[in-house]
Amino acid sequence: MKPSPFVSRLTTAAILAAGLLTGAALAAPQVGQPAPTFSATTADGNTLDLQSLRGRTVVLEWTNHDCPFVRKHYRTGNMQATQLAATSQGAVWLQIISSAPGTQGHVDGATALRLNSERRADRISHVVLDPDGKVGRLYGAQVTPHMYVIDAAGTLVYMGGIDSIPSANDGDLANATNYVRATLTALQAGQPVPNPVTRAYGCTVKYGS
Amino acid sequence: MARSRTSSSVLFPLRHLAGLALLAGGALLGGNAHGAAEGTEGRTPHVSARLVAAADAVAPGERVTVGLAKRITPGWHTYWRNPGDSGLATQVHWQLPAGAAAGPLQWPAPERQALGPVVNYGYAGEVTLLAEFTAPADARPGDVLDIAARAEWLVCSEVCIPEQLDLNLSLPVAETTRTTAHSAITAARARLPQPAPWPARYSRDAHGLQLAVDSGALPAGRGEAWFFPYEWGVIDHAAAQPAQTGSDGLRLTLAPGPLGGDAGPAVLEGVLVIGDGSGATRAYELHAPLGTAASAATPAPPAVGLATALGFALLGGLILNLMPCVFPVLAMKVIALVRHGHGGRDHAARHGLAYLGGVLASFAALAAVVLALQAGGARLGWGFQFQSPLFVLFAAWLLFAVGLNLSGVFMVGGSLAGVGQSLTERGGYAGSFFTGVLAALVATPCTAPFMGVAIGFAMTQPPASLLSVFLALGLGLALPFVVLTLQPALLGRLPKPGLWMLRLKQALAFPMYAAAAWLVWVLALQTGADGLPLALGGMVAIALAAWLHEAARHAAPRIRRTARLGGTALLAATLVAASSLQPAAVPQTHSATAAPASLLPLETYSGTRLAALRAEGRPVFVNFTAAWCITCLVNERVALERPEVAAAFAAREVAYLKGDWTNQDAGITAVLNAHGRSGVPLYLYYPAGAGATPVVLPQLLTADIVLQAIAPPPG
Repeated sequence: MKPSPFVSRLTTAAILAAGLLTGAALAAPQVGQPAPTFSATTADGNTLDLQSLRGRTVVLEWTNHDCPFVRKHYRTGNMQATQLAATSQGAVWLQIISSAPGTQGHVDGATALRLNSERRADRISHVVLDPDGKVGRLYGAQVTPHMYVIDAAGTLVYMGGIDSIPSANDGDLANATNYVRATLTALQAGQPVPNPVTRAYGCTVKYGS
Repeated sequence: MARSRTSSSVLFPLRHLAGLALLAGGALLGGNAHGAAEGTEGRTPHVSARLVAAADAVAPGERVTVGLAKRITPGWHTYWRNPGDSGLATQVHWQLPAGAAAGPLQWPAPERQALGPVVNYGYAGEVTLLAEFTAPADARPGDVLDIAARAEWLVCSEVCIPEQLDLNLSLPVAETTRTTAHSAITAARARLPQPAPWPARYSRDAHGLQLAVDSGALPAGRGEAWFFPYEWGVIDHAAAQPAQTGSDGLRLTLAPGPLGGDAGPAVLEGVLVIGDGSGATRAYELHAPLGTAASAATPAPPAVGLATALGFALLGGLILNLMPCVFPVLAMKVIALVRHGHGGRDHAARHGLAYLGGVLASFAALAAVVLALQAGGARLGWGFQFQSPLFVLFAAWLLFAVGLNLSGVFMVGGSLAGVGQSLTERGGYAGSFFTGVLAALVATPCTAPFMGVAIGFAMTQPPASLLSVFLALGLGLALPFVVLTLQPALLGRLPKPGLWMLRLKQALAFPMYAAAAWLVWVLALQTGADGLPLALGGMVAIALAAWLHEAARHAAPRIRRTARLGGTALLAATLVAASSLQPAAVPQTHSATAAPASLLPLETYSGTRLAALRAEGRPVFVNFTAAWCITCLVNERVALERPEVAAAFAAREVAYLKGDWTNQDAGITAVLNAHGRSGVPLYLYYPAGAGATPVVLPQLLTADIVLQAIAPPPG
C-alpha cells in the first residue's frame, strides 16, 4: 500500500520529533519508507528541492574531501566510476557536505566545485552545502562516505556504506561489493535491493554542536 | 622492528618517528618488571604499540597469551569489535612460524565515545587486545619463535586517520612454558568480559528492545549499566538505555537500530558493563535469546491461577460454539442429533461421547504438538498451525472433501441403498468422532472471550497444566452437544427424519466450500500465487478421486478395483505434490493489513513506529490480526471499519497501526505474550503521552467499545 501524503508527513514529523526527544541522537530514516524531503543550497548558489527530483532515482553521497576513506574512493577513481554508472542510467547524484564551519571537510561552494573538478568527478549532478547539518541529521548520516539511494517514487531503498569492505586500503576495492552499484542495478532490473541496509564506514560526519 | 605507515593527510617524517620510538624503548608500556617477552614498540602519529606475551618462554605445542598493546594519544581513540556508528575495529593479521596458531582476538570491555550525534564504542588511553598463541609442536627448545603481525586501526579524535604498523615479538622455546605476568596483559584480562552468571533474554515491544537479565538484586550503590552489542545495527548505538532494577534483576530498554526491527537477530549478544557506583566496572558477556521479557512500562499480564484458567477455558470453549467458525459444524451436529435421537437414548448418548472423544483427542493432539515444538524452542500462539502453509493446504482440502461428502458426491463406508437408511443407521460412531475432530479443526482460527487469557496462561505452564487447559477448552466446545444427547425430553421433540434432512445436509456443503475457498485465500497470502495451482489442482484431483470411488461402487469387481486404485493413486500423487509447497520468498505480510477500502488511514505495525508515534504525543490504536483469524476479520467489519469510528479516530488524531500475524512474526508474538496472550486478536489503545499505560480491549469488539476506549477520561 502506498503511504498517503498524510502518513509520509507524519513519518517525517515523527523522525524529527524522535530526534528532538533523544537529544543529540540521530534518527535514521527507514528503508522502504518515503525518503525525508529537504530543500537546500547548492554549491552553485541555487536552491534544490528534493521533491523536484521525483520520478528519477537519486543517490546521496555524504562527503568530506579530507577524510581518508573519501580520499581512498576518489584517489582510486571508484567514486567517480560509481557516479558515472549512476548518472548513465539516468540517476541524479547529490554530493552533500555536512561539515560544520571550522571542521574538517567544510568548504564553500566554489572550493567544493573546484575539488570535484580536480578529482575529475564531473558526473556529480549537484553539490549540496549543509553546514548546519540539517540534511545530515534528517538522514542520520554518520560517516563520510555515507550513501543513500532513493527510487523514482521517492522511497528510500538503500542506506549504508559504499561497499562491503570497511577499510582505507586501496587494495581492498578489488574484493569489495559496491552496494550502490548493486542497488542501482537491482532498481534498473526491477528487482529487490539485495542489501538495503549496511554498515556505513568512514570518518564521522563533523556536525556542529 | 617497527615499520610505520599511514595514509593520513598529515604525514610525519616517519624515519624520525621510528628513531624516537626506539629511544623511548621500554619507557612506554612499561611495568614489565618480570621479563615477559615483548617486542619493539612501533609508533604512528597517534598510537604507540607493541606485541607482548604473558610468558618469557613457551614449550613446544603449548599455549601462551599474547597481546597487541596500544597506547593512544590523549583525546584520540581506537575501536572495539563493534565500532558503533562510525569507526573501524582494529585488525591484527598474524604472520606466524609454520605450525604455530593464533586464536581470535579477545576484546576488553569498551567505552562509549560520543562525537556530536554519533556514538562509537572503543578505547582511549591504553588497551591491549589479547589472543591465545600456540607454539608449533615441532619447535625445539633453544629455538626463538618470530611472531609477527600487521596491526591496522582507525584512530579518531575530531578527525579519523587509518594507521597500520608491522610489529614482531621474539619468543624463546623452552622445555617448559615459563608464564610471567605482563602488566599490559594483566590489565586487559581484568577488563575482559566474563560469561554472565545469569540467564538473559530479550523481546521487542512498543518501547524497543527489552533486555532482561535475571541477575537478582544487584548490590546497592550500583552505577549505570550499559549494553554493547557485538553486531552493528541491532540497536541504536547513540540512544539512551533506560534501566530498571528490581529484586528479579536488571532490565534495559534499547532503541532498535536499522537491523533491529522485526527481522532482528534470534539472539542478542554483547557485553553488559555494570558500574559499582565508585567508578569501577564489571563486564559480562551476555547471550540473550529472543524470549519473553515483559516491558517495564507494560502492566504485567493478569495473574491467573490454574483453576481460573481451567474455568476460563471451559467458558471460552462453550462460547466458541457461537462463533462463526464452528457454525457449519454445529449445523452438522444438529442433523446428527436428529439422526441419533430416533435411535434411542443410549444410542444418542454414545454418539455424544464419540463426538466428545473426537474433540478431546484433537485438542490433546494439538497440546502434544505445542509441547513438542516448545521443547524445540519455538514460541507459539493460539492458531499457530494456520501459520504453516502446509497445514492451511490440508485443512482446505479436508473441508473441500467434507463438502463433497455432504453434497453426496461420495459416501464413506455403508452403501447408497438409501439416504434415509444411512441417516438412521445405528453404527457410525466413527462419523461422530470425526465430526468432533472437524469441530476442533474449524474452531482454532476463532477466538472466544476468556480463551485468550486461558491459553496465554497455558502456553507458559508445564505440560500437565497445558494439557488440562486445552482439554477444558475441548470439553467446553463439546459440552452443549453432549448435554443435548443426554436429554430424553428434547430428543422426543425433534422432527422426524425425512427428505428435509437430505436437503439440509446438501445445503451444509456450501459453508464447507466457503471455508475451503477462504483457506485457499489465506494460502495465497502465505505462498503468493505459486501455491494456487497446487491447492486448486489438488481439489480437482480430490473431486475426481471421490467421483471414481463412488462411480465404481456398483461396477463389476474388476472395474471397481481399477477405478479405486486410480483414485487412491491420484490422492497419493496430490499429497506428494503438497510436499513441494514453498512459502513465498517475500511473504505477503501486508496483504491482510491492506484492506482495499479501509476507512481508517492505517500503517503497518512496528515497535519503532509505535515508539515514534508515542514520542510524538499521538494516541495510538494497535490491531494485531491475521488473515486466518475469523474473529479478527469480523471485528474489523462490525467495529473498526465504521464511519463513526473513523470519524472519532480522525477527530482525536488517533494513529492506527495494524500488525499482521498471518505468518510467523516473533516480534508480534512477543507483544502478545507481554499482554498475557498467545494469539490474535489483540487490540491495544495507547492514550496520548509517552508514559501512558495501554488499554487492552476485549477480543470481541463493537463500535461502542472502541469509541469508549478512545474517549477522553471523564472530567
